Amino acid sequence: MNSLIEIGLQVPVRLDSTLCSRFRSTKSECAACAMVCPAPGAVRLGDGTGNNSAEINAACVGCGACVSACPNGAIRLLEDDQRVAERIAKKARAGEVFRFACIRAQVRADMVLPCLSRLTEALMLEPIRRDARRVELCAPDCSGCGLRKTAQQWERTLAFSQALCDSAGLGVARISSVQVQVGDAQEIRLPARTPNSRRRLFGAIAERLKSGGDERPVEIAAAGGTEPEAFRDIVQRHSENSKRTDLLGVLDALPGLKVTSKHVLAAAIPLGQLDVDQRCVACNVCETLCPTGALTHREEAGNYALEFDAAQCTGCRVCELACYHQALHLRQTVDLALLFQRSRVTLISARLTKCQGCGERILGNGLAFCPACQVSGDRRDSVARSFFSGGN
Amino acid sequence: MAEYSPIIPREAIDRSFAKQGPKQYTLWVDIEHCIGCNACTIACKAENNTPVGVDYNRVIEIEEGDFRDASKTPNVGVTFVPMPCMHCGQPACQAACPVGAITKRKEDGIVLINKDKCIGCRYCAWACPYGAPQFNAEAKIMEKCTLCVHRTDKGLQPACVTTCPAKVRFFGELNELTMVMRERRAKGVSISVGGADTKPSVQYTSK
Repeated sequence: MNSLIEIGLQVPVRLDSTLCSRFRSTKSECAACAMVCPAPGAVRLGDGTGNNSAEINAACVGCGACVSACPNGAIRLLEDDQRVAERIAKKARAGEVFRFACIRAQVRADMVLPCLSRLTEALMLEPIRRDARRVELCAPDCSGCGLRKTAQQWERTLAFSQALCDSAGLGVARISSVQVQVGDAQEIRLPARTPNSRRRLFGAIAERLKSGGDERPVEIAAAGGTEPEAFRDIVQRHSENSKRTDLLGVLDALPGLKVTSKHVLAAAIPLGQLDVDQRCVACNVCETLCPTGALTHREEAGNYALEFDAAQCTGCRVCELACYHQALHLRQTVDLALLFQRSRVTLISARLTKCQGCGERILGNGLAFCPACQVSGDRRDSVARSFFSGGN
Repeated sequence: MAEYSPIIPREAIDRSFAKQGPKQYTLWVDIEHCIGCNACTIACKAENNTPVGVDYNRVIEIEEGDFRDASKTPNVGVTFVPMPCMHCGQPACQAACPVGAITKRKEDGIVLINKDKCIGCRYCAWACPYGAPQFNAEAKIMEKCTLCVHRTDKGLQPACVTTCPAKVRFFGELNELTMVMRERRAKGVSISVGGADTKPSVQYTSK
């Protein structure tokens, strides 16, 4: 039924650009979506000058690989994760093996998907949350598939889910992949409680269309009425990373949770742990540009404190790349237990002083002028002097 | 002097060079004849309506020579160096900006700050070797000399050039300006700061 509704729409995914790392900083060279997209030309990345954000156009095939790949949860399919999770929850049976299958696999599975790369970590762990004994991902050899570029994505998601299971004390073997023959996948259907009548089906479609119809005019009115909001105002807001919220929700509800610390390489997973050193000048660029709002600052009685929520950090490196003073650094390895603990860490805490030049407040003891004012004046002077006396 | 920031990688500055078009509009300042009246500073303030403390164009006074040495003839002098934005070929500010608010226009090489994008982090002030970007504390954004882009787009000259009473400022395309300089047998002085060759376009001539 979903496909019936979705036929009329051009692009099956929506991109919330305020969550896109590339949108927030032109320094970001994130290409997570473009790397896994199997449709040529469907994802267009900005060139780093004007609009650096990723864009998804009508060439999209709706496989959902980018949804799973985007660390910030900026991309959403029309059938969003919440609805897929509900379907999984309905089908999962306690103590049984839950099978996900790709549409090319010759297997009877609990859930058949166009491509396994549609699964996010939260969706892979959903059956375990519903007490399933094991989760199996059934797929034939991906090299013969038109969407073969996405294979790396579901394998990466699988590895991360396994690591999460391990850290949760459930063991790596709870989620595994199974290679099967190429054929037609069959979905195990739930026994219908009431016979499906045509009246109900069309009633449901009409309802869905009606609710969808409510949304669209609102969007158009918002776009056409006032002039577009300035970038500098947009980046002050931080949207919720719904993908991470879903994952944290699943992790909290895992049965038999016994969290152990497990360090994994940060480059392979969408997580990060930050360190800030003394070069920090409290410019707040990291906080402003962080797509997910993992960084926040507090100012109390002339004291500046930068706080970090590791559970919200997606390791997108925007803060590290944007920081001119190179005060921020991501650690090489990340402890997965952070996702279960939700601790807020104070990265730096120091006294603020007011600059007599520009009136801005900066970190530093007993400085009359902020380094930016000081440096500008000194530079003008010395440049003028150097080329007058030494330049001839 | 605070040394030129080593933080912007050379490659980042080089990459910005690729965006330079064939034309580069710029200024030529003849500092031999500059009388240091600061009319350009005032004209600029009036034209761009900048608040106190924000000056797109500053005139630096340099005194040199010595009169204390009794064995020599006193030889003192003062020179005035107007310092606008250099509209560099490879702007360090553009390489430093975390949000891509600074662009170098392809058609005329003018370096501009997009006020809608600027988040006021002042990284450009840190990066600029010439101290050109100015922080507007009221609006919390960076501003700098635009070569009076609102005037030059209409074919007018920048306010500082039309105002200059000593007629030492000239506006034009870089190649045309150097031609004029050659005709007048004026010797160009290049600004260079240790290690930071951002290819400044503003031309100075001295004695």
